[in-house]
Formats: sequence, C-alpha cells, structure tokens
Amino acid sequence: MDSRASVLECRDLKKSYGDNAAVKGVGFHIAEGETYGLLGPNGAGKTTTISMVTGLLERDSGEVFVNGLPLTTTSIDAKREIGLVPQDLAIYPDLTARENLIFFGKLYEMSGSDLKKRVDEVLEIIGLTDRAGDRTEEYSGGMKRRLNIGLGLLHQPRLLLLDEPTVGVDPQSRNAILESVEQLSGEGMAVLYTTHYMEEAERLCDRVGIIDLGEIKAEGTRRELVQLVGQHDRIRLQATGPCAAGVEALASLAAVREAGVRDGGIEMLVDNADRWLAEILGKVSGAGVGISSVDVEEPNLESVFLHLTGRALRD
Amino acid sequence: MKAFTIAGINLRRFVRDRSNVFWVLVFPILLILVLGAAFGGSSDPRLGVYEAGDGELSGGLVLLLEEQSGMQVVGFESRDDLVATVERGEVEAGLIIPADYDAGLQAGRSVVVELAIRSAEDAQGIRGNVQSALTQQSGVLRAAAFVQAEGAGTFADGLDVAAATGENIPDVTVTVSSVGEQIGYFQLGRFDASAQAELLLFMFLTSLTASAALIQTRRLGVARRMVATPTPVRTILIGEGLGRFVIALLQGVFIMVGTLVLFNVDWGDPIGASAILIVFALVGSGAAMLMGSLFSNDQQAGGLGVLFGLGLAALGGCMIPLIIFEYFAPTLFNIAHITPHAWGLEAFDALVIEKGTVVDTLPFLGILLGYAAVFYLLAIWRLRKVLTS
Repeated sequence: MDSRASVLECRDLKKSYGDNAAVKGVGFHIAEGETYGLLGPNGAGKTTTISMVTGLLERDSGEVFVNGLPLTTTSIDAKREIGLVPQDLAIYPDLTARENLIFFGKLYEMSGSDLKKRVDEVLEIIGLTDRAGDRTEEYSGGMKRRLNIGLGLLHQPRLLLLDEPTVGVDPQSRNAILESVEQLSGEGMAVLYTTHYMEEAERLCDRVGIIDLGEIKAEGTRRELVQLVGQHDRIRLQATGPCAAGVEALASLAAVREAGVRDGGIEMLVDNADRWLAEILGKVSGAGVGISSVDVEEPNLESVFLHLTGRALRD
Repeated sequence: MKAFTIAGINLRRFVRDRSNVFWVLVFPILLILVLGAAFGGSSDPRLGVYEAGDGELSGGLVLLLEEQSGMQVVGFESRDDLVATVERGEVEAGLIIPADYDAGLQAGRSVVVELAIRSAEDAQGIRGNVQSALTQQSGVLRAAAFVQAEGAGTFADGLDVAAATGENIPDVTVTVSSVGEQIGYFQLGRFDASAQAELLLFMFLTSLTASAALIQTRRLGVARRMVATPTPVRTILIGEGLGRFVIALLQGVFIMVGTLVLFNVDWGDPIGASAILIVFALVGSGAAMLMGSLFSNDQQAGGLGVLFGLGLAALGGCMIPLIIFEYFAPTLFNIAHITPHAWGLEAFDALVIEKGTVVDTLPFLGILLGYAAVFYLLAIWRLRKVLTS
C-alpha cells in the first residue's frame, strides 16, 4: 500500500443489469498525486466502475470513500472532492465556453471573483482563452474535448476521474490532454484514468488495473504487471566479431534467460533490462565482440493483457 | 440557490432562440384576437347609417340612435358601401335614411327607412334600438304637427317648442330584474372567455413543449454531469422546472396585460388573477418536468406535448366552454375536471363572473397546487431513477 494518503478507496463494487453482471467485485485505491489507470477493452466495465465511483450510478454492493468520506448517489460532501470528465461530451452547445464553466463552477459552489479568476485560469490551461466567448457548437471536436476536461478541473478537485477522454480526438489535442493529465498528477491531484489505449496507460499511470469482463484481472506498476505474467525484456545487439563467444559470456548472468546469435548480432531475453544492461554490454565486449547498436524492447501492457485474458485489447 | 443558477441558464438558452419569443408571446395574442373576433358575441353590435339627405330631422334621428345604449353607430357615405359592409359582417346592421326624410315628415307623409340586418342573432336588439329612436322622434314630430294645426306657429316653431318641453317632462324608468339563474358565461365580453381559455391553453402547452429542453439536457449529458456535482437531483429538477415556470408565468402575464390593454378583457380581481397565473404556471412546469423525465426523445416529447397540451385543453373547456358541457353533456363536464384546465377556468369564473376575490378561488387553487405537487414529486422520482440507474 502507498504510504501517501488514500484519496479514493473502493471495495468490492458490484453492478448487474438484469442477468448481466457488468462489474463483479472491483476494488482499488488511489493515493494523493497518483495516477491510476483502468485498462481494458470496450465493454470491460470501466465506465460502469467510474460511474459508481462518481456517485452517478446506484451500485448493487460495495463501498466507495473519497478522502475518507463515504460516497453514494445522494452524497454531497464527497462529490465536492471529485472532478468528472465523462467519456461523452457533457456541455451546452448553445452556450460559450465561459458560460459553461461559470455554470458548473456555481454548481460546485464557487462564486464571485474566485470563480471568475478560476475560469480564466482553466481557459488558459485548456487553451481556449481566445475562443472563450464563442458558442461551443462552433468548436472543433478537440476543443470541445478540452472544454469537457476543463469543466472537471474547475473546482480543483482532490480526485479527477477521466473516462476515456481522448476517444475521437485528433493527435495534437490528444497530446495536449495527456500533458495536462501529467501536469495535474504532478500537482498532487489523484487521477483515475480509464482507457483502452495501452500507450496512454503506460505513459500516464503510476499503477494500472487490467479490467476485463467486470473484474480486475491484475493490478500494479507496469513492471510489476509484466513480471507478474513472466514477461521479459528483449535486447538486440548489432555486433561484429565472435558473437558466439559473447553468448557464452552471458551464460554467467542469471538475469539473462535466453541468448543466441541472430541476423549477425546477439539477441537475448532479460528479466530487467534497465538493471542489467550495463553488465550485459560489459560481458559481451569482454568477449571481444564489437557492438554497433543496442535495441531494448520492454514487454508492454498489450502483451500482459493478452496473457491475462487470451485476447487483444482491441478485440 | 443552485436551483436559481439552473433556472437562469435555462432562461438564457430560451431567450437565445428567437423563435421562442414569437411562439410564447406574439402568437397567443394573435390567436386571442382571431378567436375573439370570430366567436366572441357579447360586445355592442354596430349599426351603419347612411343619410341620403342632410336634413335636420334626418340628423336628429342619427343623434337619437347614438344615444341608444348597447349599440355603436357608424356613419357611411353611400348606400352601396353600407350594404356591402353589412354583407361582409363588418357591421351587424345598416340603416338607410332616404333623401326625402325631412320633406316627407314635414309634409305629414309616411316615410320609409330601410334596415338591413345580417343575422337574426343581432336583429332584435338593433331593431328595438332603431324603433325606440324613431318613436322618440315621432313624439316630437306629432307635437310639432299639433302646434301647427292649432295655429300656434309653424311646424318648425312646433319642433322647437316640443324639444324644449320634452326636456322638462320627467322620465319613466323601467326597472329590470333577472328571474332564474343567470348563465354568466354569456355576459362575458367579446374577448373575455377566449382570453381566459387561451391563457390556460398556452401556458400549459408552452410548458409541455419545453419538456423537450429537459430531455435535451439529459441527452447532452449535462444533467448527468450535474448529478456528479454536489447538487441533489431534486435541486436539479426544481431548477429545470423553475426556468419553465418563469417562462410560463411571463407568458401568462404578457397575455393578461396585453389583452387587458388591447381588448379590455376583464380578468377580475388582480390579486386573484395573479394567484391563478402563478399556480397554473406551477402546474404547467410540473407537467413538463414529468414529461421530460418520462421520455428520452425530445422530438417525441415535443410532439406529444402538443398533443397533450391541445387535448387536455379541449377536454378541460378551453375550446368548448365548460358551460356547454354542463348543460348538454354532464358526464363530459365531470370528465373535464380531470384536467387542471377545468379547475383553472373555474377559478377565473369565480373572479370574473361571480365577481369574487382571491379567497373565492382558494378551493380551485388548492386543487391546482395538488396537481403541481404530484407532477413534481413523480418527476423527481423518475429523474433520479433515470439518471442514477
């Protein structure tokens, strides 16, 4: 367990729609300043989970605490601590960005000059200051997405919940969104980020929960997850000289699981490339092999997901 | 406070759509004008008069006609124009005074005046008024003839004497008392009844069609996002309803003041009328919130809103007066009271026909408040279910 204060604690969340169990006992926690990712394909139960965590959806059972406060659909105090960025846009198209922000700011009990100042700040963060007076129906998809996020940030929540915020967003806006999330996490905000994009989870999340068919199959840092399923880093060396001797030299390293000569170089599977790379290069060089390039390939969450569920993330 | 914020944003969005201004404010007034002009029947009938000559007696007859109560006199320059105007229904009757009116009477001959009447409904009153004016003038003429016959002066001298003497003869006043129950509806002015009915019809109809706005807020995801803020569902619904309430109330006030100024419509005791407006706006907004939480397609709700709005108004006496139901279809009269419109109209009757005050409307207002409470409670229950399950 993280030594930092837990901002979100949810236990054994369950939700069924008729006979269809959408979420089957999901539980996790998020510490202050931590970004937690729920990674899973469409229909895995991510949105149902986030809806229960936000108090938008009645759960069948389980508990949610935000900053120590119990949260249900009727909670008021716990909801003050949460900022929500829903998967679908939730803005008034016939109002301007500023009007949308002011409206939701008031619902979060902000007022007067504090609200005005914060609205200006958020417009700056989401890069819409110049278009703040335009109706949002005139915005591009990316601009609407950014406003959607801005509305979640407005009241400076302790916990920010982003439900697949980059779906349907152009690469430039997507990058801007990811940068914003990284920045917010750096400022101490706890972030719950759901996505089916493996790259986003790897880039943003301190810890990831792999969710499928309503259950969290595994949870941890990327490395923990990779180790959990027995995946190894792959190192390829473009080499000249006695490559076979180099392979023999590597046999003395326990971290090297497999090594061989391939395509005029040496290829190996290693437990932790970051930790052992320098030693590996030393051994190979010591065997008289000339190294012209090094390529390290770490196993990604896609392969972890495949291992855990037997199918790809985008299936 | 948050309810006011939600209501405020709704009003802002409503005002931005210019077509709303027409449908909510201008259209009802136009309809009241059209319906009042077409079906209203209790204002003073108009008598068109064409004087072929310009004699003193002819002019005197016109003056006597103008003094008759319950009738307006409009002058015409030609006989054909007058007849055509009667035919078009722009005046209810036309009186043609011949060119030899003065000469004939002074010579002691009988003179014929023509009275053209468009419908039998107006005939009795106008004919009575014309007959009365002619009888008055005839009395003076006989007195003048008597003066001339007795050699006490010329016919003209006789007219002067008779006119001067007539002013000093005391009037005989006829006191009229009603026997049996009065049917108050038929005492209302041309626009009164239609204005009351249209007021209730439009307030309710506008509110119901506004249910589409709540559905739109839901479909935009904004309502759900509001639930994620520290705002209870009931506050969200009350805020949404408050916006519709203010719109319905503004429309009601506009129709009331507009028809009062333009058509002199009698709304009765202003406090009582205001109370009916406020309570009926609550009923309308409550019904809109219920519809907005029951349906999930704004076009479907808009269409059904018009259907329910017009259907309930028709059933509730806004198209066919309740008095007709009461006399000719008592069962329908009872069924009509399922609708809030019937209770609203009863409340207006208590003010306008019975000349009552706000106190007399309280039983009806209580029932209407019951409608509003039921609508709002059901809507809150339904919206919470829709948004959180």
